[in-house]
Amino acid sequence: MEGLLNLWHATGIANFSIPALIMIAVGCLLLFLAIAKNFEPLLLLPIGFGAILTNIPVAGMSDPGGLLYAVYHVGIDTGIFPLLIFMGVGALTDFSALIANPRMLLLGAAAQFGIFATLFGAILLNFVPGFEFSLQDASAIAIIGGADGPTAIFLASKLAPDLLGAIAVAAYSYMALVPIIQPPIMRAFTTVEERKIEMPQLRKVSKKEKIVFPLMVLTLTAIFLPAAIPLVGMFCLGNLMKESGVVDRLSNSAQNEIINITTIFLGLAVGSKLAADKFLTVETLGILVLGALAFAIGTASGVFMAKGLNKISKTPINPLIGAAGVSAVPMAARVVNKVGLESNPHNFLLMHAMGPNVAGVLGSAVAAGILLALVG
Amino acid sequence: MDIGAVLATAGNLMLTGMIGVFVFLSILIGAVKLMSHLVARFEQPESESSAYSPSIQTQGVPKGHIAAISAAIAQYKANNN
Repeated sequence: MEGLLNLWHATGIANFSIPALIMIAVGCLLLFLAIAKNFEPLLLLPIGFGAILTNIPVAGMSDPGGLLYAVYHVGIDTGIFPLLIFMGVGALTDFSALIANPRMLLLGAAAQFGIFATLFGAILLNFVPGFEFSLQDASAIAIIGGADGPTAIFLASKLAPDLLGAIAVAAYSYMALVPIIQPPIMRAFTTVEERKIEMPQLRKVSKKEKIVFPLMVLTLTAIFLPAAIPLVGMFCLGNLMKESGVVDRLSNSAQNEIINITTIFLGLAVGSKLAADKFLTVETLGILVLGALAFAIGTASGVFMAKGLNKISKTPINPLIGAAGVSAVPMAARVVNKVGLESNPHNFLLMHAMGPNVAGVLGSAVAAGILLALVG
Repeated sequence: MDIGAVLATAGNLMLTGMIGVFVFLSILIGAVKLMSHLVARFEQPESESSAYSPSIQTQGVPKGHIAAISAAIAQYKANNN
């Protein structure tokens, strides 16, 4: 009889708690979004599965000695996983559009206003009872506005590890929702005439320029903002491997095997942070609201900057491309192209939008460096 | 926690952060323009030298050309003697 009782206590049914079941349901929701709705499936599928695994009682996947515990401490606590992903993203990025038209960096800079305005908003939320965000928490939440998953995870793991699960889920969910969040904002702040503006073709960029570019970015970061070196350095390494053309094997590994393997474990480790006691709080709700706000403000400020540039520039600039300044490569650029085509079926803005898009990646890495230097 | 004080710090951070991002990326704009300019300048003489390279590569000169040049030299010498 005692044996049977012990067996009963070892079953899941005897140990399930309501909060854990809710979190398993959240994990299933993420799996549904990934599989049925195709929302960032590469990340949301392992995150959702990680959330389910971590909330299964008795198994202890996220307790000391468990697999997810080990993966989290090896990969995210140390910051290694997001940095490896950043190396792969660097190897996948083509800076031609930005080198051909470097003023696009200003659009990438303007879109970072979403981050800093949200930081202010997060602290403002402290007036609402139940919220108590420190400056570190607010900074980690605000980086969602950078629309850059690895950067958000890197910064959250350094500044607010307790909020990491909610921040990562919000960041990736909103990145998947870029085609829904951005177009209404883009249409609201531009006229039909502005959306019709055609831009001149970009010049051809030489191989030498593409090789020197990552080295130059690295040098400037080393001189002015060394706190951003982990992110920018790995990004530049990946990009140099791609552009140099002499280490195709390494570049291919960074773009494929390394980034894929890291994505599996990064997703699982983030999912392991979706434990009921950490996620089912009023703060998570605040993070979701602030994340959406950060995206919206970033998009709007990019569009406004592009409108301003169009007024003073000799060559025409379509204000829509400012929206791509929030990174979320290449989704945001595709959205710009689509909205541009609605107003003018002969206007292909994709290549022009890639400039601010990759500028946004650099901009959010720089913003993360600034936050680490000032708040970390 | 004194929210007012934290709010002031956040406002300050917002201002400093945006200025920081703009200054850094503006420097990068200048650096990219300078780099493109320098690369274009260094590429010019290189392309000129590559234009000369076929005449330098003597191994690649067809036999017919060598024969014609030799004949011309021989004729020049014969005329001058």
